[in-house]
Amino acid sequence: MRERREVDLRLAGKTIINQLGVVLRTGQIHDIDNVAVMDAVDKFIRLVNPVIEAEGLLKIDVIGEFFYINDSRVRYPLEYMLNFDYLLREFQRRELGTVVFGARLETDEIKTFLRVFMSSAYSGTPYEAMEASLEECTNIRIDRLKKITEDGDMDQKKIVKKTYFNAVSFTESVMNRVKAGEKVNMKVAKRVVESMVDLILSEEQLLVGMTAIKDYDEYTYHHSVNVSVLSIAMGQKIGLSRKALTELGLVALFHDIGKMEIPKEILNKPSAFTEEEWSIIRRHPYLGARVLLKLKGFDRTSIRSAVVAFEHHLHYDYSGYPEVRNPVKLDFYTRIITIADQYDAMTSSRVYARVPLAPDRALRIIMERSGSELDPVLCKFFTNMIGVYPVGSLVLLDTREMGLVYECNPLFADRPRVMIIVDGNGRMTEGIIADLTERDTEGRYLKSIVKTLDPNRYRLNLAKYLL
Amino acid sequence: MTHAQEVKEIIQALVKAKKNLRIYPENNPVYARIVDDIHSRITSVLEYTGELSLKIRQHDIFFDGESVYHGDGKEENLALFFFKDGVRELTFNKGLPRNEMEDFLGILAVDFDREALDDDIVTLMWEKDFRFIHYMVDDSILLEDETYEERAVEEAKKASQDNEGILQAYREASSIEAGPVTHVVPITDADLDHMIREIEEDTDDKSIKLIHLLFEMLSQVGDTAEYGELAGFIGSALDFAVRHGNLDAAVYTLERIDEETAGDGCENEVRARLEDLKRFMCSEDFVSGIAEVFDEGTEFDEALLQRFASLLDSDAIPSFIHVLGELRSAQARRAVISILSELGRKDIQSVARGLQDRRWYVVRNIICILRQIGDATAVEHLVRAVRHPDKRVKKEAIRTLGVMGTADVLHVLNECISDEDELVRLTAVRAVGLIGTPLSKKILLDRVADRGFRDKTFNEKREFFEVLSRWRDDDVVALMIRALKRRTIFKRAKNTETRAAAAHGLGMTGSADALEPLMKLKNAKNRLLRDNVQAAIKRITGEREKRS
Repeated sequence: MRERREVDLRLAGKTIINQLGVVLRTGQIHDIDNVAVMDAVDKFIRLVNPVIEAEGLLKIDVIGEFFYINDSRVRYPLEYMLNFDYLLREFQRRELGTVVFGARLETDEIKTFLRVFMSSAYSGTPYEAMEASLEECTNIRIDRLKKITEDGDMDQKKIVKKTYFNAVSFTESVMNRVKAGEKVNMKVAKRVVESMVDLILSEEQLLVGMTAIKDYDEYTYHHSVNVSVLSIAMGQKIGLSRKALTELGLVALFHDIGKMEIPKEILNKPSAFTEEEWSIIRRHPYLGARVLLKLKGFDRTSIRSAVVAFEHHLHYDYSGYPEVRNPVKLDFYTRIITIADQYDAMTSSRVYARVPLAPDRALRIIMERSGSELDPVLCKFFTNMIGVYPVGSLVLLDTREMGLVYECNPLFADRPRVMIIVDGNGRMTEGIIADLTERDTEGRYLKSIVKTLDPNRYRLNLAKYLL
Repeated sequence: MTHAQEVKEIIQALVKAKKNLRIYPENNPVYARIVDDIHSRITSVLEYTGELSLKIRQHDIFFDGESVYHGDGKEENLALFFFKDGVRELTFNKGLPRNEMEDFLGILAVDFDREALDDDIVTLMWEKDFRFIHYMVDDSILLEDETYEERAVEEAKKASQDNEGILQAYREASSIEAGPVTHVVPITDADLDHMIREIEEDTDDKSIKLIHLLFEMLSQVGDTAEYGELAGFIGSALDFAVRHGNLDAAVYTLERIDEETAGDGCENEVRARLEDLKRFMCSEDFVSGIAEVFDEGTEFDEALLQRFASLLDSDAIPSFIHVLGELRSAQARRAVISILSELGRKDIQSVARGLQDRRWYVVRNIICILRQIGDATAVEHLVRAVRHPDKRVKKEAIRTLGVMGTADVLHVLNECISDEDELVRLTAVRAVGLIGTPLSKKILLDRVADRGFRDKTFNEKREFFEVLSRWRDDDVVALMIRALKRRTIFKRAKNTETRAAAAHGLGMTGSADALEPLMKLKNAKNRLLRDNVQAAIKRITGEREKRS
């Protein structure tokens, strides 16, 4: 019996969180006694009470950007995304980290919770307001949102760095093997990508942040990994399964493999390419597809990798290369990877394009290309993932401090975490992290971005701060 | 028993399970018993320990600091099985459900030496996304260069840095005009619906897409040496697709080959390679792949099979005939017969050559196919098939000659009426009737008039009269009436059978002339005669009533 309950909890988690989102959203629009609200509350109770009976209690936690029910991470399908995001935002706004329902819930208890939750939005100290109002309600207990400790952050960061560089190192060895005509170990490739998928699922922002650092010598290897990371992150945002994310990550990792077939003297030419050199460069999608089909026997991944390698410069409107006689709709993964590829290429210093674009500028170009070169709906998902101020953006705050965007906040796109590198008096600092969602006791934000600057113009070394 | 001893026994059970689970299919009760046994052993330990954590080393497995397993060598070494892929710790947690245990044991039983998998143990466990089984992995085994991170970070940090740049940025910041901000466009319900549709429509098999692109690539190649390679890729993609049940890929490829090679625009080299490809699609190797899919139970739309066959060259006929004899399921045979029936229209002689196959059932199927094609040129081959030693083939050939044949084959069928096997004779009588010429009638009448006719079985005699009844001519009716009335002193039982069969035949003619003699016998003492007479009367009067 116990086993059955465990399995059910996993399935029920997403429905419960979604329904709580529905209850709160409906409560925001209608009076609490409205039929629509009551229906939503009744449904929530019907979902929750069996779990409370089986498990003894129901605990909802927010940790980072994820919900946990009775300590089990809740994964949700794409159709629940809006309610999940809404709920997460509302919990974070109130600094609400935990809600515990101790015994079978009655309608009145949920109505009380709903009333308290709604009214707390008007308080300067919403968490305290909720805590005080729920004091009498013994069946519902709340706890404050826990900040992720810096120590924990550091450990995670080490893991993220290790995973990222393992991927780059592996990519380098793959490319060298391809050049040498040797076999590539796909088992290892999968393991490398699985590690990245795990990190995207738990520490998305940290791994995505790694892609902002561009000060490496080996552009192609880092670019391949960056495209893979950004694609997986996007795939996660649109609700792909773990297995599909692995496939997407693998395919993205190999999208530029055709460049290994381009003579090094052309690839590393420091000056502008001649028309003839461009025509050789433009062959890399074709060459990539060929390499991938020769790499190992035909299977789903090798077939898809070849398709994407061939298509990744074709563009959504077929304005790119190679030229095709009979255009057919671009592969779904191609459309994801193209966005990641263009964004990373624009923000990187390449041999033939020494000055990279500032991340926010690159993002603007991505939006400009939405609907022409790039899939418009996927562009929306991409900008939502990367934020208004992507990691690595150099920003000036209203406190006259200057900082680097260190981590995006997917729920508050314009309020990232910023590493302060120059204080309000114009002095260099040790890199304190400021969360721009923090507010004072009256609910005013402590710091806000007023403008962005181009980090490349001032030869800022992001690696020093972000690695 | 101590915990360590219990864990030792669990490990021994895992070692045995690793071997035994490979032997039994998952739906076998023994398989289920093995899973149940290990699951109950582990859950009983977890009941009081909460978790069971095993440290994995190359030759040992440790529990609570004590070795609970030691294995030397490479074969059958459970510790090494996990260690080689980087698993260093394996933990089972309280609440472990049976299905998770079964999935774990399924991975344990994988024979990595035999199965060409792209996945190692860690990937297989990762894909299962266990909740109650956790593992720690050492990823350093994946690395060829362990110092890579250190070097890359060092290089990146020293790349370009001076504080002056930062301070300059700060000084200029206040005077720089704020650039435009990219606003994040909120994702709407319509976007989500669109994306859900995209994900749903995103099929696993991208073979057709790849084949499409390979044809595009063919048109971009500058070096003729690459044509062969690209055509080879198309062949491999196709082979993969077909072996995974995607017959549409084969249809698409054939359509594209026809499109590309039509007209004069196609380069000779490309044309040659595409023709090679088409030949490959006719090969036994490729066709066997299709046959396997049919045999696995994948169902295909009849129209798709017909389209596929219509695009193939007749060179594929021998390959399909070959696989026809290898198929295990009736459904698969039906699919291949359907393909051959369409394909055979292009080259009836190639199909007819299948009549020489040593397997009787193949020959019988070929006869069926020839009948479905209905080409009169096949008759000469069918005439030969009538002499096949297997009576099942013989019957099929006779039946087909009846459907397709003309008066030219009647002499062969007449011979068959004298065959030693009654079923063959009956089939031949029906076939002669189907041809339906005056000569047919004559053959049958002569046979009925023959002295030996009386000695045939009732069934056979009835068949003769029934077949003859299709003519409804006076001479036929008169012959039957004579047979009905005939009385004999000797062999009376046999004669009565003939009379009963004639009564049956008269009933089938519906002739009013037959009523009177039939009425006279409606109360005949012999039951066989009486029953047949009464049935005939009923039939004739029924028909008359219907007509009036």
